[in-house]
Amino acid sequence: MPSKDGEIKMDFKLTEEQMEIKRAAREFAEKEFTPELALEYDQREEFPTELYRKAAKLGFTSMRIPQQYDGQGYGVLEECIVVEEFCRVDPGLGVAVSLGNLMVPDVLLKHGTDEQKEKYIPPLARGEKIAAAAFTEPEHGSDITRMDSTAVKNGDEWIINGSKQFITNAPIADTFIILCQTDPNATPPHRGQSLFLAEKGMPGLEATKLHGKMGIKPCVTGSLAMSDLHVSAKNLVGELNKGFYYALELFDGTRITVAAQAVGMAQGAFEKALNYAKTRKQFGQPVFNFQAVSFKLAEMAIKIETARLLTYKAAWTYDREKPNAVATSMAKAYASRVAMEVTDDAIQIFGGYGYLADYHVERFHRCAKITEIYEGTSEIQKLTIANFLAK
Amino acid sequence: MAEIFVLAEHRQGQLRDITFEMLTKARELAEKTNAELTTVLLGKNVKESAKNLTEYAKKVIVVEDEKLGSFNSDAYLKVLSTLIKEHKPALTIIGHTSYGVELAPRLAAAIGIPLATDCIDVAFEGDALAVTRQMYGGKVNAKAILRKSESYMVTLRQAAFQAQKPTAPMNGQILEVPSPLTEEITTKRFIEYVLPPPGGVDITAAEVLVGIGRGIKDQANLPLVEELAKSLGGVLACSRPIVDKGWLPSDRQVGTSGKTVKPKLYVALGISGAFQHVLGMKNSDLIIAVNKDPKAPIFSFSDYGVVEDLFKVVPPLKNKINELKSQKA
Amino acid sequence: MDVIVCVKQVPETAEAELKIDASGKKIEKTGLVFDINEWDDYALEEAVRIKEKFGGTVTAITVGPEDSDSTLRKCLARGADKAIRLTDPKFEGSDAFATAKILHSVIKTMHFDLILTGAQAGDDGSAVVGPVLAELLGVPHAAMVKKIELGEGKAVVNRELEGGLEERLEVKLPALFAVQTGINEPRYVSIMGIRKAMQKEIKVMRLSDTGLNESEVGESGSWLKIEKLYVPPVEKQAEFLQGSPDEIATKIVEILKSRGLI
Repeated sequence: MPSKDGEIKMDFKLTEEQMEIKRAAREFAEKEFTPELALEYDQREEFPTELYRKAAKLGFTSMRIPQQYDGQGYGVLEECIVVEEFCRVDPGLGVAVSLGNLMVPDVLLKHGTDEQKEKYIPPLARGEKIAAAAFTEPEHGSDITRMDSTAVKNGDEWIINGSKQFITNAPIADTFIILCQTDPNATPPHRGQSLFLAEKGMPGLEATKLHGKMGIKPCVTGSLAMSDLHVSAKNLVGELNKGFYYALELFDGTRITVAAQAVGMAQGAFEKALNYAKTRKQFGQPVFNFQAVSFKLAEMAIKIETARLLTYKAAWTYDREKPNAVATSMAKAYASRVAMEVTDDAIQIFGGYGYLADYHVERFHRCAKITEIYEGTSEIQKLTIANFLAK
Repeated sequence: MAEIFVLAEHRQGQLRDITFEMLTKARELAEKTNAELTTVLLGKNVKESAKNLTEYAKKVIVVEDEKLGSFNSDAYLKVLSTLIKEHKPALTIIGHTSYGVELAPRLAAAIGIPLATDCIDVAFEGDALAVTRQMYGGKVNAKAILRKSESYMVTLRQAAFQAQKPTAPMNGQILEVPSPLTEEITTKRFIEYVLPPPGGVDITAAEVLVGIGRGIKDQANLPLVEELAKSLGGVLACSRPIVDKGWLPSDRQVGTSGKTVKPKLYVALGISGAFQHVLGMKNSDLIIAVNKDPKAPIFSFSDYGVVEDLFKVVPPLKNKINELKSQKA
Repeated sequence: MDVIVCVKQVPETAEAELKIDASGKKIEKTGLVFDINEWDDYALEEAVRIKEKFGGTVTAITVGPEDSDSTLRKCLARGADKAIRLTDPKFEGSDAFATAKILHSVIKTMHFDLILTGAQAGDDGSAVVGPVLAELLGVPHAAMVKKIELGEGKAVVNRELEGGLEERLEVKLPALFAVQTGINEPRYVSIMGIRKAMQKEIKVMRLSDTGLNESEVGESGSWLKIEKLYVPPVEKQAEFLQGSPDEIATKIVEILKSRGLI
């Protein structure tokens, strides 16, 4: 779809249904993610379990899960609309709540057995359980083509050993998928990786919470240690040695929602700055009257609008046609940069106050940074685009 | 001679303040238009009140009936429509109270005369009636004209007019009218009054009140303002939305549907100042309001105003007060 | 129980700065966010709870422009079964009385056990539509209702009086209740609700469908005609304390000290 000769299919109007989803998500977030709660969770670095359950009960966290598994049966675009609205109100709570059942339902829907789907997806869709996807390792961040974690077949079981790092939800998750090297001799090595399901409480599976993240603090992160973790052969997801491909596939969708997080964060900070510029008086007039400020806001608005269009286009393509890695990477790389720039500008407009936690924009800036890093850094996104251009 | 009707409002044997407020405004209108001022009193055993009212009107029409023993808008409607059809008053004034709100619109529709509700001013302009009322929660005033009619009806906002006695008692004549209610009212029946469960705190007795409104945003913020109230030696009070949300019990509510308070100090935090709240606290000795919106109506009723986020002002304020207190101690 | 809920879409003005438009008779609507009237929100919730408890249907009905659909969709998403929008250029300028007549023209053809309205609307604050509609329909009503207990052929309601006092009344059904805020806790719109709402139709009716004539609606069918809007004159203005939050706090402490309050 993104093409070198400028082909584009235009239909910029959200449907009435999508507008209703947007309104509902906004209303929920505005009433629930109060600035004070946001500040509190930003300091406590704790997952807002109650809030997650509440959002899940209303369907906000299972947009892409089919109704058959207690989800909502919508597409990536509808999910992006919710994520954007949540992050617009608060980036920390917004990310945490929208990532509660991260990736596990997606991968099971595509490759899981009926038994796995029925067992694991509905409780995640309903918000009763929390999921974590363990790909990254201490030695393998953006490059997951080789895993140090191993799974060795032993009768009806697999025995997993190794460790994972920077795993979203690891300390609180009930359901895990873990990417392991199952064929150490495969060449290239990524052809020898497989995905396994594991559950909290299994002997040999231990999570440790990570502290001191720069942003998205209510979204807890941790490391995972597997030492002689026994899982049943039934816990293998899909085919043996296909794990790497499954993981990559996931990113096509989740990366678009990261772009939506970035758009929401930028929008939220922008609105705060705009409001401040119109009410804050210096030299006898609102600072908005100074072009140095109003032009900055104009630029911010242009960037956000562009980022949103790229994001919605990637989502629309994913839903209507097929996942497109280039469209996805463009949206993520651009939107995350915009989030950094716009939240930075917002602080600047607030001046000294912007540097204070109480005025909330600095939190948006801290949170925005993650969107350039997780689910593939911006460099990885550019690599994807460059590879496409090279063809 | 034209006549102006004022419906006397009373409850549990007491004429309510709104009655005298309406009579004050009606007297002014009657003088200007050379009309006769009549007050209408419906009830059971209301002779005492009727006598009281003779000071304020030329005529006191009294209808007594068992069926008027407690307020019943259907009974009132029947009696009043008979009286209005017979007397054809140029204007009927009813209080914009819980009783008036239930009665007036239906009565006006039943008789077929135009009504303006919740008026803060009323004036005849020739034979037209002009009213002033508020819109958008008091942010905008509207001047409106009622459809031309020989008879008009208005409801007046509580406390919009200050009750005043006439310079000389009007020595009104009491006119006892037999009740036109021939049958039992079967559509609705009064059962009882319900008092809110007594809470631990009587805000009307407090010398210092910290009043909170929508601006408090979250129940989780209550401890912060509670601490401020404690530092000041006072207690928390609130506007309606806080009670609606269940964050504070209803006995903490200040305003028309809650308590009327007159503390030495009222600190209004995140209260916009809707008239329903203001009526309950505007006579406090000293009012300090904190609100983010510089145009919030509360600032028109306050001695001191702070245009700022309450969460930025309350912590340093609390600390400074505590510091001062510890120095003294 | 078949319940009809009358709703209205109004601008959210609590935290917005209002401007009066060039005509001087309306406020500038651009930039304002529109939503269901706060009182109607409680009425809708009460209706849905009654349906959930006793069965039956909930029909939401509004008189308003096309964009009131978003309020009706919200009602459908929260549990209403049917929605009716009464829209006609001739309805413009209708006050609460004319609006009650328009609602009546349609409701009189429908079956209902109960009609719920908000006690008032946040824009004009009239508190008129409910009781007038009840009169036109010839059913009993109660205003400022804080609690509804339904029984066989009757309901017991609590009405809010002043000063924290309430009164309990028994009212014959079918009846109309104009509900006060705080009667319940309105639920959020859920995604499941939106999906259901999108499958339901919003029935649109015009003047010609109501059996009313032109002179009965709009300004000519109204009790009230707005001559002008203006910003309320400020009778008294607070002395504003300026400075950083810290400086302001110091100033307040000084004031309190001087008054002997601390």
